[in-house]
Amino acid sequence: MPTHEIGLQVENLCVSYQGVPAVRGVDLEVKAGEAIGLIGPNGAGKSSTLLGIMGATARTGTVRINGIDVAGLPPEKVVRQGVALVPEGRHIFSELSVLNNLKLGLVGRREKTGIPEAFAEVFTLFPILEEFQGRKAGLLSGGQQQQLAIARSLMANPDIILLDEPSLGLSPTAVDTVFEALDVVRKAGKAVLIVEQRAEFTIAFSDKTFVLHDGLITLTLGPSDANNVDVLTEAYFG
Amino acid sequence: MNQFIQSLVDAISGGAILGLAALSIGLVFGVIRLANFAQGEIITAAAYTLIFTWQLGWFISIPLSIVVAVALSLLMEFTVFSRMRTATPATLLIASFGLSFLLQRVYEMLFTNTVQTAPVGSALAQSIDVGGVRIQMLSVVTIILAGSLLYGLTLFLAKSSLGLQLQAAAADFQTARLIGISASRVIGLSFALSGVLAAAVAFVSTVQTGAVGPSFGVPIVILALVGAVIGGIDKLSGALAGGFLVGFATSMLASWLPQDFSNFRDAYVFGLVILVLLFRPSGLLIRGRGVART
Repeated sequence: MPTHEIGLQVENLCVSYQGVPAVRGVDLEVKAGEAIGLIGPNGAGKSSTLLGIMGATARTGTVRINGIDVAGLPPEKVVRQGVALVPEGRHIFSELSVLNNLKLGLVGRREKTGIPEAFAEVFTLFPILEEFQGRKAGLLSGGQQQQLAIARSLMANPDIILLDEPSLGLSPTAVDTVFEALDVVRKAGKAVLIVEQRAEFTIAFSDKTFVLHDGLITLTLGPSDANNVDVLTEAYFG
Repeated sequence: MNQFIQSLVDAISGGAILGLAALSIGLVFGVIRLANFAQGEIITAAAYTLIFTWQLGWFISIPLSIVVAVALSLLMEFTVFSRMRTATPATLLIASFGLSFLLQRVYEMLFTNTVQTAPVGSALAQSIDVGGVRIQMLSVVTIILAGSLLYGLTLFLAKSSLGLQLQAAAADFQTARLIGISASRVIGLSFALSGVLAAAVAFVSTVQTGAVGPSFGVPIVILALVGAVIGGIDKLSGALAGGFLVGFATSMLASWLPQDFSNFRDAYVFGLVILVLLFRPSGLLIRGRGVART
Protein backbone atom coordinates (compact mmCIF):
# COMPACT_ATOMS: atom_id res chain seq x y z
CA MET A 1 0.00 0.00 0.00
CA PRO A 2 1.93 3.06 -1.18
CA THR A 3 2.13 6.05 1.11
CA HIS A 4 3.69 9.46 0.52
CA GLU A 5 5.42 9.52 3.88
CA ILE A 6 9.12 10.43 3.78
CA GLY A 7 11.15 7.30 4.30
CA LEU A 8 11.92 3.82 3.04
CA GLN A 9 9.60 0.85 2.79
CA VAL A 10 10.84 -2.58 1.81
CA GLU A 11 8.47 -5.51 1.28
CA ASN A 12 9.43 -9.10 0.59
CA LEU A 13 12.87 -8.14 -0.78
CA CYS A 14 14.70 -11.07 -2.33
CA VAL A 15 18.22 -10.98 -3.81
CA SER A 16 20.08 -13.93 -5.27
CA TYR A 17 23.38 -14.40 -7.02
CA GLN A 18 23.41 -16.96 -9.85
CA GLY A 19 20.46 -18.73 -8.30
CA VAL A 20 21.88 -18.74 -4.76
CA PRO A 21 19.57 -16.73 -2.49
CA ALA A 22 21.24 -14.07 -0.33
CA VAL A 23 18.14 -12.21 0.87
CA ARG A 24 14.90 -14.18 1.19
CA GLY A 25 11.97 -11.89 1.80
CA VAL A 26 13.01 -8.97 3.98
CA ASP A 27 10.38 -6.47 5.17
CA LEU A 28 11.41 -3.26 6.87
CA GLU A 29 10.48 0.38 7.14
CA VAL A 30 12.56 3.41 8.07
CA LYS A 31 10.76 6.67 8.77
CA ALA A 32 12.09 10.22 8.76
CA GLY A 33 14.18 10.94 11.84
CA GLU A 34 14.46 7.25 12.65
CA ALA A 35 17.53 4.99 12.75
CA ILE A 36 17.11 1.30 12.01
CA GLY A 37 19.94 -1.18 12.52
CA LEU A 38 20.55 -4.38 10.57
CA ILE A 39 22.96 -6.82 12.19
CA GLY A 40 23.90 -10.43 11.70
CA PRO A 41 26.82 -12.74 11.00
CA ASN A 42 28.92 -12.63 7.83
CA GLY A 43 26.97 -13.77 4.80
CA ALA A 44 23.60 -13.06 6.43
CA GLY A 45 22.57 -10.82 3.50
CA LYS A 46 23.02 -7.39 5.10
CA SER A 47 25.02 -5.75 2.30
CA SER A 48 22.90 -7.50 -0.33
CA THR A 49 19.82 -5.93 1.26
CA LEU A 50 21.32 -2.47 0.81
CA LEU A 51 22.44 -3.20 -2.76
CA GLY A 52 18.96 -4.57 -3.51
CA ILE A 53 17.37 -1.36 -2.20
CA MET A 54 19.71 0.71 -4.39
CA GLY A 55 18.92 -1.35 -7.50
CA ALA A 56 22.58 -2.32 -7.81
CA THR A 57 21.77 -6.03 -7.98
CA ALA A 58 18.91 -8.04 -9.43
CA ARG A 59 16.07 -8.27 -6.91
CA THR A 60 12.38 -9.01 -6.49
CA GLY A 61 9.95 -7.50 -4.02
CA THR A 62 8.94 -3.90 -3.51
CA VAL A 63 11.15 -0.96 -2.54
CA ARG A 64 9.43 2.37 -2.04
CA ILE A 65 11.40 5.56 -1.49
CA ASN A 66 9.30 8.44 -0.23
CA GLY A 67 6.26 6.45 -1.36
CA ILE A 68 7.53 5.85 -4.90
CA ASP A 69 8.13 2.31 -6.14
CA VAL A 70 11.64 2.20 -7.62
CA ALA A 71 11.23 -1.18 -9.34
CA GLY A 72 13.46 -1.51 -12.39
CA LEU A 73 15.34 1.76 -11.85
CA PRO A 74 19.15 1.69 -12.16
CA PRO A 75 21.14 2.91 -9.11
CA GLU A 76 21.76 6.39 -10.56
CA LYS A 77 17.99 6.95 -10.82
CA VAL A 78 17.24 5.42 -7.44
CA VAL A 79 19.64 7.97 -5.93
CA ARG A 80 17.55 10.79 -7.41
CA GLN A 81 14.50 9.58 -5.52
CA GLY A 82 16.22 10.73 -2.31
CA VAL A 83 18.37 7.87 -1.04
CA ALA A 84 22.15 7.69 -0.63
CA LEU A 85 24.41 4.75 0.15
CA VAL A 86 27.67 4.92 2.06
CA PRO A 87 29.24 1.68 0.78
CA GLU A 88 31.24 -0.86 2.74
CA GLY A 89 34.94 -0.04 2.50
CA ARG A 90 34.07 3.64 1.96
CA HIS A 91 34.87 3.64 -1.78
CA ILE A 92 35.94 7.23 -1.88
CA PHE A 93 37.75 8.32 -5.06
CA SER A 94 41.25 8.18 -3.69
CA GLU A 95 43.01 9.93 -6.61
CA LEU A 96 40.69 12.95 -6.38
CA SER A 97 40.80 15.71 -3.79
CA VAL A 98 38.47 15.80 -0.81
CA LEU A 99 36.68 18.77 -2.38
CA ASN A 100 36.18 16.97 -5.70
CA ASN A 101 34.81 13.92 -3.86
CA LEU A 102 32.28 16.21 -2.20
CA LYS A 103 31.42 17.85 -5.54
CA LEU A 104 30.72 14.40 -6.97
CA GLY A 105 28.18 13.89 -4.19
CA LEU A 106 26.21 16.77 -5.72
CA VAL A 107 25.52 14.71 -8.86
CA GLY A 108 22.72 12.83 -7.09
CA ARG A 109 21.15 15.99 -5.68
CA ARG A 110 17.55 16.56 -6.71
CA GLU A 111 17.53 20.33 -6.27
CA LYS A 112 20.29 22.52 -7.64
CA THR A 113 19.91 25.20 -4.96
CA GLY A 114 21.45 25.32 -1.49
CA ILE A 115 24.86 24.04 -2.59
CA PRO A 116 26.98 26.50 -0.54
CA GLU A 117 24.84 25.61 2.47
CA ALA A 118 25.44 21.90 1.79
CA PHE A 119 29.20 22.44 1.90
CA ALA A 120 28.85 24.51 5.08
CA GLU A 121 26.78 21.77 6.74
CA VAL A 122 29.22 18.95 6.00
CA PHE A 123 32.17 21.10 7.05
CA THR A 124 30.39 21.83 10.34
CA LEU A 125 29.70 18.14 10.82
CA PHE A 126 33.23 17.08 9.84
CA PRO A 127 35.62 20.07 10.33
CA ILE A 128 38.63 17.98 9.31
CA LEU A 129 37.28 17.80 5.75
CA GLU A 130 37.30 21.58 5.43
CA GLU A 131 40.89 21.66 6.64
CA PHE A 132 41.95 18.91 4.20
CA GLN A 133 39.69 19.85 1.27
CA GLY A 134 42.61 20.25 -1.14
CA ARG A 135 44.27 16.99 -0.09
CA LYS A 136 44.09 13.82 -2.15
CA ALA A 137 41.37 11.65 -0.56
CA GLY A 138 43.57 8.56 -0.59
CA LEU A 139 45.96 10.28 1.82
CA LEU A 140 43.33 10.59 4.56
CA SER A 141 43.24 8.20 7.51
CA GLY A 142 40.56 5.48 7.60
CA GLY A 143 38.36 7.49 9.95
CA GLN A 144 38.70 10.62 7.84
CA GLN A 145 37.86 8.64 4.70
CA GLN A 146 34.71 7.35 6.40
CA GLN A 147 33.77 10.91 7.29
CA LEU A 148 34.32 11.86 3.66
CA ALA A 149 32.15 8.96 2.44
CA ILE A 150 29.31 10.06 4.73
CA ALA A 151 29.79 13.73 3.80
CA ARG A 152 29.74 12.84 0.09
CA SER A 153 26.41 11.10 0.53
CA LEU A 154 25.00 14.07 2.46
CA MET A 155 25.91 16.46 -0.39
CA ALA A 156 23.04 14.88 -2.35
CA ASN A 157 20.67 15.99 0.45
CA PRO A 158 19.03 12.57 0.68
CA ASP A 159 15.95 11.86 2.78
CA ILE A 160 17.24 8.36 3.47
CA ILE A 161 20.84 7.38 4.12
CA LEU A 162 22.03 3.76 4.01
CA LEU A 163 25.34 2.89 5.66
CA ASP A 164 27.21 -0.36 5.14
CA GLU A 165 29.61 -1.13 8.00
CA PRO A 166 30.60 2.49 8.75
CA SER A 167 32.77 1.41 11.70
CA LEU A 168 34.75 -1.22 9.78
CA GLY A 169 38.47 -0.90 10.46
CA LEU A 170 38.16 2.32 12.47
CA SER A 171 39.69 3.21 15.83
CA PRO A 172 37.27 3.62 18.78
CA THR A 173 37.66 7.42 18.61
CA ALA A 174 36.90 7.45 14.90
CA VAL A 175 33.84 5.24 15.48
CA ASP A 176 32.57 7.72 18.10
CA THR A 177 33.02 10.61 15.65
CA VAL A 178 31.11 8.75 12.94
CA PHE A 179 28.19 7.79 15.21
CA GLU A 180 27.97 11.27 16.72
CA ALA A 181 27.63 12.63 13.17
CA LEU A 182 24.99 10.02 12.35
CA ASP A 183 23.04 11.10 15.40
CA VAL A 184 23.07 14.69 14.10
CA VAL A 185 21.90 13.43 10.71
CA ARG A 186 19.06 11.45 12.29
CA LYS A 187 18.00 14.41 14.41
CA ALA A 188 17.97 16.56 11.27
CA GLY A 189 15.06 14.40 10.13
CA LYS A 190 16.76 11.94 7.81
CA ALA A 191 15.91 8.24 7.82
CA VAL A 192 19.01 6.15 8.63
CA LEU A 193 19.44 2.44 7.85
CA ILE A 194 22.71 1.12 9.21
CA VAL A 195 24.27 -2.26 8.58
CA GLU A 196 26.89 -3.18 11.15
CA GLN A 197 28.96 -5.95 12.69
CA ARG A 198 29.27 -4.10 16.01
CA ALA A 199 26.01 -5.36 17.48
CA GLU A 200 26.05 -3.59 20.84
CA PHE A 201 26.87 -0.24 19.32
CA THR A 202 24.20 -0.54 16.64
CA ILE A 203 21.45 -1.73 18.98
CA ALA A 204 22.15 1.10 21.41
CA PHE A 205 22.20 3.68 18.62
CA SER A 206 19.17 2.54 16.61
CA ASP A 207 15.50 2.97 17.42
CA LYS A 208 15.02 -0.61 16.31
CA THR A 209 17.47 -3.29 15.16
CA PHE A 210 16.71 -6.29 12.98
CA VAL A 211 18.82 -9.41 13.15
CA LEU A 212 19.37 -11.00 9.76
CA HIS A 213 20.18 -14.70 9.44
CA ASP A 214 20.52 -16.53 6.17
CA GLY A 215 18.68 -13.78 4.31
CA LEU A 216 15.75 -13.62 6.75
CA ILE A 217 14.93 -11.29 9.66
CA THR A 218 14.84 -13.55 12.68
CA LEU A 219 14.73 -11.13 15.60
CA THR A 220 13.83 -7.52 16.38
CA LEU A 221 15.69 -5.73 19.16
CA GLY A 222 15.33 -2.40 20.96
CA PRO A 223 17.99 -0.13 22.49
CA SER A 224 17.47 -1.76 25.91
CA ASP A 225 18.76 -5.07 24.50
CA ALA A 226 22.22 -3.60 23.78
CA ASN A 227 23.84 -5.03 26.91
CA ASN A 228 21.81 -8.20 27.13
CA VAL A 229 24.34 -10.94 26.47
CA ASP A 230 21.69 -13.65 26.13
CA VAL A 231 19.83 -11.72 23.47
CA LEU A 232 23.03 -10.98 21.55
CA THR A 233 24.10 -14.64 21.72
CA GLU A 234 20.66 -15.64 20.46
CA ALA A 235 20.92 -13.05 17.68
CA TYR A 236 24.22 -14.38 16.34
CA PHE A 237 24.18 -18.08 17.16
CA GLY A 238 20.44 -18.84 17.04
CA MET B 1 74.48 17.07 -33.24
CA ASN B 2 72.00 18.66 -35.66
CA GLN B 3 70.89 15.24 -36.78
CA PHE B 4 70.36 14.19 -33.18
CA ILE B 5 68.17 17.24 -32.44
CA GLN B 6 66.16 16.63 -35.61
CA SER B 7 65.56 13.01 -34.69
CA LEU B 8 64.75 14.01 -31.10
CA VAL B 9 62.04 16.44 -32.25
CA ASP B 10 60.67 13.80 -34.65
CA ALA B 11 60.67 11.24 -31.84
CA ILE B 12 58.82 13.58 -29.48
CA SER B 13 56.31 14.21 -32.24
CA GLY B 14 55.94 10.46 -32.90
CA GLY B 15 55.57 9.84 -29.19
CA ALA B 16 52.99 12.60 -28.85
CA ILE B 17 50.78 11.18 -31.55
CA LEU B 18 50.94 7.60 -30.26
CA GLY B 19 50.38 8.99 -26.76
CA LEU B 20 47.14 10.57 -27.96
CA ALA B 21 46.10 7.33 -29.68
CA ALA B 22 46.82 5.34 -26.51
CA LEU B 23 44.93 7.90 -24.44
CA SER B 24 41.92 7.55 -26.73
CA ILE B 25 41.94 3.81 -25.99
CA GLY B 26 42.58 4.34 -22.26
CA LEU B 27 39.62 6.74 -21.92
CA VAL B 28 37.14 4.07 -22.97
CA PHE B 29 38.97 1.23 -21.21
CA GLY B 30 38.88 3.13 -17.92
CA VAL B 31 35.10 3.26 -17.96
CA ILE B 32 33.89 0.00 -19.52
CA ARG B 33 37.03 -2.16 -19.63
CA LEU B 34 37.00 -2.24 -23.41
CA ALA B 35 40.37 -2.16 -25.17
CA ASN B 36 38.82 -1.05 -28.44
CA PHE B 37 40.79 -2.49 -31.34
CA ALA B 38 38.26 -0.88 -33.72
CA GLN B 39 39.65 2.51 -32.68
CA GLY B 40 41.86 2.04 -35.76
CA GLU B 41 38.80 2.15 -38.01
CA ILE B 42 37.67 5.41 -36.39
CA ILE B 43 41.09 6.84 -37.30
CA THR B 44 40.67 5.46 -40.83
CA ALA B 45 37.19 7.01 -41.20
CA ALA B 46 38.50 10.41 -40.11
CA ALA B 47 41.46 10.05 -42.49
CA TYR B 48 39.19 9.17 -45.46
CA THR B 49 37.09 12.24 -44.61
CA LEU B 50 40.19 14.42 -44.77
CA ILE B 51 41.26 12.89 -48.10
CA PHE B 52 37.84 13.27 -49.75
CA THR B 53 36.99 16.74 -48.45
CA TRP B 54 40.37 18.48 -48.33
CA GLN B 55 39.65 20.38 -51.54
CA LEU B 56 36.74 22.09 -49.76
CA GLY B 57 39.24 23.82 -47.45
CA TRP B 58 40.86 22.80 -44.19
CA PHE B 59 38.26 24.74 -42.17
CA ILE B 60 35.56 22.39 -43.49
CA SER B 61 37.60 19.21 -43.82
CA ILE B 62 39.10 19.12 -40.32
CA PRO B 63 35.84 19.80 -38.41
CA LEU B 64 34.07 17.28 -40.65
CA SER B 65 36.67 14.61 -39.86
CA ILE B 66 36.14 15.28 -36.13
CA VAL B 67 32.37 14.94 -36.56
CA VAL B 68 32.79 11.66 -38.48
CA ALA B 69 35.17 10.23 -35.85
CA VAL B 70 32.92 11.17 -32.93
CA ALA B 71 29.80 9.92 -34.74
CA LEU B 72 31.40 6.56 -35.61
CA SER B 73 32.73 6.18 -32.08
CA LEU B 74 29.27 6.82 -30.59
CA LEU B 75 27.66 4.56 -33.20
CA MET B 76 29.96 1.69 -32.14
CA GLU B 77 28.95 2.24 -28.53
CA PHE B 78 25.20 2.40 -29.18
CA THR B 79 24.97 -0.41 -31.71
CA VAL B 80 27.52 -2.89 -30.37
CA PHE B 81 29.12 -2.26 -27.00
CA SER B 82 26.06 -0.95 -25.13
CA ARG B 83 24.49 -4.37 -25.75
CA MET B 84 27.44 -6.11 -24.10
CA ARG B 85 27.49 -4.40 -20.70
CA THR B 86 27.81 -7.63 -18.74
CA ALA B 87 30.45 -9.13 -21.05
CA THR B 88 33.99 -9.79 -19.80
CA PRO B 89 36.88 -7.61 -21.04
CA ALA B 90 38.10 -10.56 -23.15
CA THR B 91 34.71 -10.85 -24.89
CA LEU B 92 34.63 -7.11 -25.49
CA LEU B 93 38.12 -7.23 -27.00
CA ILE B 94 37.12 -10.05 -29.36
CA ALA B 95 33.99 -8.12 -30.35
CA SER B 96 36.14 -5.09 -31.13
CA PHE B 97 38.40 -7.27 -33.32
CA GLY B 98 35.30 -8.43 -35.20
CA LEU B 99 34.09 -4.87 -35.60
CA SER B 100 37.52 -3.80 -36.82
CA PHE B 101 37.61 -6.48 -39.55
CA LEU B 102 34.02 -5.75 -40.54
CA LEU B 103 34.69 -2.03 -40.95
CA GLN B 104 37.86 -2.70 -42.96
CA ARG B 105 35.81 -4.78 -45.39
CA VAL B 106 33.18 -2.03 -45.54
CA TYR B 107 35.92 0.50 -46.40
CA GLU B 108 37.18 -1.89 -49.11
CA MET B 109 33.70 -2.07 -50.61
CA LEU B 110 33.20 1.69 -50.48
CA PHE B 111 36.65 2.95 -51.47
CA THR B 112 38.34 -0.16 -52.99
CA ASN B 113 41.60 -1.63 -51.81
CA THR B 114 43.62 1.06 -53.55
CA VAL B 115 44.95 3.84 -51.37
CA GLN B 116 43.25 7.21 -51.80
CA THR B 117 45.49 10.25 -51.96
CA ALA B 118 45.18 14.00 -51.48
CA PRO B 119 47.64 16.74 -50.52
CA VAL B 120 46.30 17.02 -46.99
CA GLY B 121 48.22 19.70 -45.05
CA SER B 122 50.96 19.84 -47.70
CA ALA B 123 52.08 23.19 -46.29
CA LEU B 124 53.23 21.31 -43.19
CA ALA B 125 55.59 19.11 -45.22
CA GLN B 126 58.29 21.78 -45.36
CA SER B 127 61.16 22.17 -42.92
CA ILE B 128 61.95 25.24 -40.88
CA ASP B 129 65.33 26.46 -39.70
CA VAL B 130 65.66 26.78 -35.93
CA GLY B 131 69.14 27.93 -34.87
CA GLY B 132 70.73 26.14 -37.79
CA VAL B 133 68.79 22.94 -37.23
CA ARG B 134 66.25 21.86 -39.87
CA ILE B 135 63.05 20.77 -38.19
CA GLN B 136 59.96 19.45 -39.92
CA MET B 137 57.01 21.80 -39.57
CA LEU B 138 54.69 18.79 -39.10
CA SER B 139 56.68 17.63 -36.06
CA VAL B 140 56.30 21.06 -34.45
CA VAL B 141 52.58 21.22 -35.27
CA THR B 142 52.08 17.69 -33.93
CA ILE B 143 53.75 18.55 -30.63
CA ILE B 144 51.69 21.76 -30.29
CA LEU B 145 48.47 19.94 -31.25
CA ALA B 146 49.09 17.08 -28.81
CA GLY B 147 50.09 19.50 -26.04
CA SER B 148 46.98 21.63 -26.57
CA LEU B 149 44.67 18.62 -26.63
CA LEU B 150 46.24 17.23 -23.47
CA TYR B 151 45.98 20.58 -21.73
CA GLY B 152 42.33 20.93 -22.77
CA LEU B 153 41.51 17.39 -21.72
CA THR B 154 43.26 17.83 -18.38
CA LEU B 155 41.33 21.06 -17.73
CA PHE B 156 38.07 19.38 -18.72
CA LEU B 157 38.68 16.36 -16.48
CA ALA B 158 39.82 18.42 -13.50
CA LYS B 159 37.54 21.44 -13.63
CA SER B 160 34.19 20.42 -15.12
CA SER B 161 31.50 18.39 -13.40
CA LEU B 162 31.30 15.99 -16.36
CA GLY B 163 35.07 15.56 -16.32
CA LEU B 164 35.01 14.70 -12.63
CA GLN B 165 32.20 12.24 -13.27
CA LEU B 166 34.27 10.61 -16.00
CA GLN B 167 37.27 10.34 -13.67
CA ALA B 168 35.08 8.85 -10.95
CA ALA B 169 33.55 6.31 -13.34
CA ALA B 170 37.01 5.35 -14.59
CA ALA B 171 38.22 4.84 -11.01
CA ASP B 172 35.22 2.91 -9.65
CA PHE B 173 32.29 2.44 -12.02
CA GLN B 174 29.96 0.75 -9.53
CA THR B 175 30.43 3.40 -6.84
CA ALA B 176 30.05 6.15 -9.43
CA ARG B 177 26.60 4.80 -10.32
CA LEU B 178 25.72 4.46 -6.63
CA ILE B 179 26.29 8.18 -6.09
CA GLY B 180 24.08 9.09 -9.04
CA ILE B 181 26.47 9.31 -11.99
CA SER B 182 24.66 8.26 -15.15
CA ALA B 183 26.38 5.24 -16.70
CA SER B 184 25.18 5.95 -20.24
CA ARG B 185 26.26 9.60 -20.04
CA VAL B 186 29.85 8.93 -18.94
CA ILE B 187 30.26 6.03 -21.33
CA GLY B 188 28.97 8.18 -24.20
CA LEU B 189 31.30 10.97 -23.13
CA SER B 190 34.32 8.67 -23.07
CA PHE B 191 33.54 7.41 -26.60
CA ALA B 192 33.03 11.00 -27.86
CA LEU B 193 36.32 12.24 -26.40
CA SER B 194 38.08 9.19 -27.74
CA GLY B 195 36.66 10.07 -31.19
CA VAL B 196 38.08 13.60 -30.97
CA LEU B 197 41.53 12.21 -30.13
CA ALA B 198 41.24 9.70 -32.98
CA ALA B 199 40.52 12.57 -35.39
CA ALA B 200 43.69 14.37 -34.23
CA VAL B 201 45.73 11.21 -34.77
CA ALA B 202 44.13 10.79 -38.20
CA PHE B 203 45.03 14.36 -39.20
CA VAL B 204 48.72 14.03 -38.33
CA SER B 205 49.02 10.55 -39.85
CA THR B 206 47.26 11.62 -43.06
CA VAL B 207 49.53 14.66 -43.45
CA GLN B 208 52.53 12.34 -42.93
CA THR B 209 51.51 9.78 -45.55
CA GLY B 210 49.07 11.63 -47.81
CA ALA B 211 47.50 8.27 -48.62
CA VAL B 212 44.76 6.28 -46.90
CA GLY B 213 43.72 2.65 -47.36
CA PRO B 214 41.16 0.41 -45.62
CA SER B 215 43.62 -0.71 -42.93
CA PHE B 216 45.21 2.72 -42.40
CA GLY B 217 44.50 2.86 -38.66
CA VAL B 218 45.49 -0.73 -37.82
CA PRO B 219 49.27 -0.30 -37.30
CA ILE B 220 48.66 2.89 -35.31
CA VAL B 221 46.20 1.20 -33.00
CA ILE B 222 48.40 -1.88 -32.50
CA LEU B 223 51.30 0.30 -31.32
CA ALA B 224 48.94 2.49 -29.26
CA LEU B 225 47.40 -0.58 -27.57
CA VAL B 226 50.87 -1.89 -26.81
CA GLY B 227 51.82 1.50 -25.40
CA ALA B 228 48.67 1.72 -23.29
CA VAL B 229 49.34 -1.74 -21.87
CA ILE B 230 52.97 -1.12 -20.96
CA GLY B 231 52.16 2.27 -19.43
CA GLY B 232 49.21 0.86 -17.51
CA ILE B 233 45.91 1.01 -19.39
CA ASP B 234 44.07 1.29 -16.04
CA LYS B 235 45.28 4.86 -15.66
CA LEU B 236 44.96 7.67 -18.21
CA SER B 237 48.43 8.98 -17.40
CA GLY B 238 49.78 5.43 -17.76
CA ALA B 239 48.20 4.94 -21.19
CA LEU B 240 49.48 8.33 -22.34
CA ALA B 241 53.02 7.74 -21.07
CA GLY B 242 53.15 4.22 -22.52
CA GLY B 243 51.94 5.41 -25.92
CA PHE B 244 54.48 8.22 -25.89
CA LEU B 245 57.26 5.84 -24.97
CA VAL B 246 56.47 3.41 -27.79
CA GLY B 247 56.15 6.22 -30.34
CA PHE B 248 59.37 7.82 -29.14
CA ALA B 249 61.31 4.54 -29.18
CA THR B 250 59.98 3.56 -32.62
CA SER B 251 60.99 6.90 -34.10
CA MET B 252 64.44 6.90 -32.46
CA LEU B 253 65.13 3.34 -33.60
CA ALA B 254 64.12 4.28 -37.16
CA SER B 255 66.58 7.19 -37.07
CA TRP B 256 69.54 5.52 -35.42
CA LEU B 257 69.50 1.84 -36.23
CA PRO B 258 71.77 0.84 -39.12
CA GLN B 259 69.85 0.26 -42.37
CA ASP B 260 70.12 -3.55 -42.10
CA PHE B 261 68.53 -3.51 -38.66
CA SER B 262 66.00 -0.69 -39.03
CA ASN B 263 63.69 -2.91 -41.07
CA PHE B 264 63.19 -4.86 -37.86
CA ARG B 265 62.62 -1.84 -35.63
CA ASP B 266 59.14 -3.05 -34.58
CA ALA B 267 60.74 -6.30 -33.39
CA TYR B 268 63.01 -4.28 -31.08
CA VAL B 269 60.05 -2.25 -29.82
CA PHE B 270 58.03 -5.39 -29.07
CA GLY B 271 61.09 -6.97 -27.44
CA LEU B 272 61.19 -3.96 -25.13
CA VAL B 273 57.49 -4.41 -24.46
CA ILE B 274 57.99 -8.06 -23.47
CA LEU B 275 60.76 -7.03 -21.08
CA VAL B 276 58.57 -4.36 -19.48
CA LEU B 277 55.64 -6.73 -19.06
CA LEU B 278 57.87 -9.42 -17.56
CA PHE B 279 58.97 -7.07 -14.79
CA ARG B 280 55.93 -4.76 -14.53
CA PRO B 281 52.91 -6.82 -15.67
CA SER B 282 50.43 -4.13 -14.63
CA GLY B 283 52.30 -1.43 -16.51
CA LEU B 284 55.05 1.02 -15.74
CA LEU B 285 52.90 3.52 -13.85
CA ILE B 286 50.59 1.14 -11.96
CA ARG B 287 51.55 -0.01 -8.49
CA GLY B 288 50.86 -3.67 -7.69
CA ARG B 289 49.18 -6.06 -10.09
CA GLY B 290 46.06 -4.03 -10.82
CA VAL B 291 42.50 -5.17 -10.36
CA ALA B 292 40.21 -6.61 -13.00
CA ARG B 293 36.75 -5.09 -13.25
CA THR B 294 34.01 -7.55 -12.23
